[in-house]
Amino acid sequence: MSALSTPGGTVPATAGRGRPVWRLVLGQELKELWIGGRALNLLILFAVLMSATSFLLATNNELSLTPPRLMMVVALQSTMSFGLFIGLIVGAESVSGERERATLEPLLLTPAGRRHVILGKYLAAVSPWPVAMVLAVPYIAVLAQGDVALGIALAWGAVLGTILTFFFTGIGLLASVWSGSTRSSLFVSLLIYLLALLPAQLPGEFQATAAGAIVQALDPLESVRQFLNQYLVGGLALDDARSLLVAPVVALILAIVVVLGVAAPRLALDGGVRSLGPKASTDVEA
Amino acid sequence: MEVSQQPILVAQDLQKVYGSRTALRSLSFSLRPGRVLGFLGPNGAGKTTSIRVLTTILEPTAGRFEVDGVGSDRPIEIRRRIGVLPEGIGFPRNSTGFDYLTYFGQLFGRSARDARDTASELLAEVGLQNRADSLVGTYSHGMRQRLGIARALVNRPRVLFLDEPTLGLDPRGQQELLRLIQRIAREHDTGVVLSSHMLSEIEGICDDVVIMNAGHVVAKGTVAEVIGQSAAPGVAQHVLRVRVPADQVANAERILNAESTVVQTTVTDQVAGWIVAELADGRGLEGDGEGTGDGAGVAAAGGTERNRLLGALIGADIPIIALDPGGGRLQDVFLQLTAEAIE
Repeated sequence: MSALSTPGGTVPATAGRGRPVWRLVLGQELKELWIGGRALNLLILFAVLMSATSFLLATNNELSLTPPRLMMVVALQSTMSFGLFIGLIVGAESVSGERERATLEPLLLTPAGRRHVILGKYLAAVSPWPVAMVLAVPYIAVLAQGDVALGIALAWGAVLGTILTFFFTGIGLLASVWSGSTRSSLFVSLLIYLLALLPAQLPGEFQATAAGAIVQALDPLESVRQFLNQYLVGGLALDDARSLLVAPVVALILAIVVVLGVAAPRLALDGGVRSLGPKASTDVEA
Repeated sequence: MEVSQQPILVAQDLQKVYGSRTALRSLSFSLRPGRVLGFLGPNGAGKTTSIRVLTTILEPTAGRFEVDGVGSDRPIEIRRRIGVLPEGIGFPRNSTGFDYLTYFGQLFGRSARDARDTASELLAEVGLQNRADSLVGTYSHGMRQRLGIARALVNRPRVLFLDEPTLGLDPRGQQELLRLIQRIAREHDTGVVLSSHMLSEIEGICDDVVIMNAGHVVAKGTVAEVIGQSAAPGVAQHVLRVRVPADQVANAERILNAESTVVQTTVTDQVAGWIVAELADGRGLEGDGEGTGDGAGVAAAGGTERNRLLGALIGADIPIIALDPGGGRLQDVFLQLTAEAIE
C-alpha cells in the first residue's frame, strides 16, 4: 500500500511515538556538523592554536619566566577561550546558515516546536567543546610538569569551560536567530567575544579600581580567569573565590532563558530587525 | 460528483502588508480535493507571499483561511495537513535521500520504523528508489525536486503547495515532474496549489487558475472560464500570427483581408514577414465547431477558422515559415490581464 493512500488522512496531531523533536534535530545537526567536517576543521584550528600557546609557554619556562602551575592555568584558560570560540562560531551559523542554504523553511513547515528546534541546534553547537577539552588534556598535562593540582585544574576547566561554552554559544545562536545573514551574525558574535576578552587587556591600574572590578565581575570570561588564577595559582580558599563564579553562572542562566524563552518562539524564516518583533501566533508551540 | 465535494482549502480576503507596502490584497479562492490550482503572476505579483501565508510561514495582516476545516488561527494543526515544496529549497549535504525523508517523517510525529517505511514508499513513488542511499549532494536538480515533493508528502497532506517546482529543469524533467504532480492530485485526492511562471504547464495540468498581479487577483476560475474571459472587449483571443517570406507579405495580407472572417491585418515585422490577422469575435466563430458559448468551444471554433485561413495562403503558393495560433490560450489572457492591471 502506498504511503499516500493509507487511510486515515494526515498524520494525527497526537502522533508522538517517535523521539522528541529536539533529539531528532540534534541528531541531524550533529550529522551535518561532524560528518560534514566543519567541527573537525574547527578542532584542527583549535589544536594548532593550543600547540602555539603551549610552545610559547614552554619556551618561557625554559627561561624560568613562568612557573609550571601558572603555565597550566594559562593553558587551561586558553583551552576555554579557544574552545568556546568554536561554539560561538557554530552557534552563529546555525540558523542564519540554514536561512542562506534555504533549509530552514522545510523545518519551519513541520509542526515541530520552535523551542525543540533551537534546543537541538544549541546542544549540537556545544558538542565540539568536550572534544576540544579532551584534545587539550595532553598539552595541559605536559605544561603542568607533574603539578599535583592538575586533576583539580582539569575538573574545574571542564565545568567552567562548559558553562562559558553554553553562554557564548547562546550568544552566537541569538545573533543567528535575529540576523539576516551569517556574515552579520558572525560579526556580532565576534564583537561580543572580543569585548569579553577586553578586560584582561586593560591596564593594571584600571583593573584595581572599582570600575575595573565591576567590569571584571560582569564579564563571565574574565571572572573565570580571575577564579582560576586566584584559586589555583594564588591559593585562595574556594569559599573566598566562589563569588567569582556568580557572573558565569548568571550569564549561563540568562543565555538559556533568552535563547529558549525569548528567541526560540520568534524563530522565523526571515532574520533582520523585523524578526525582533513580538512573538507571532504562527510560532506558538504545540 | 466533484462539484459536491467540500473545498479543502478556502482563503477569504487574505492580506499581507510589509510596513507601507501591501504585498497581498484580498486573496479569496477555494480548492477542492483532487484538483490542481495554478497560481500565476509576474515577478512580484504576490504568489510566493500568498503561499507563505497559506502555509503558515507568514501571518496574514487580515483575512483568514482554512485547510481541511482547520482555521488559520491553528497554524500547527494546519502544518500537519499540508505539504510544501518552497521555491529554491535547499537540502542537507550529508544526508541520503532515505535519511532525509525519514528525518522529516519523524518530525511529523511518525515512529522511526513508520518513518522509514514511509520514506521507502515515497522514494518509489517519485522514482528515486535506486538512489535512496546516495547523498542528496550527488542528486541532479530534477532529482532534488522529486525528493522535495516526496518530503512534502511525508505527512500525507490534504493540500500540497508547490512553488515554481519546474524552475531550472530541462524539458523532460519538467514533463516528468508535472505528470507526477497530476498523478498525486488524482490518485490521492490531494488538492494541489501550483505556482509557476510557465503558462503552458499551468494550462496543461491545472483544473483551476488564479492570476495575480501586484498583490491583486485579476482572474480566477477554471482554466476554461479564465480563458473564456478573454472574450471580453479588448482581449485579443481570435488572432492568427503567421510568418511568410518578406516578399510575400503584401500578397498574404491581400488574401487574408479578402476573407470574411478577418477583421483586419497588421504587419508587425516587415523584414521577418510576421502578419497578425484579427479574426471575427467568438460568437461569429461558434458555427464552425462545437461552440457552446464557453471559452473552450470558442477556442475550438477559432482553431478551425485558422486552419481555413492557412489553407487559403497555402493554396496561393505562399510558404508558411512559422505559425503562432494566438488567442484561446492562457498566455494571451495572462498577458492581457496583467498588462491591464499595470496600466
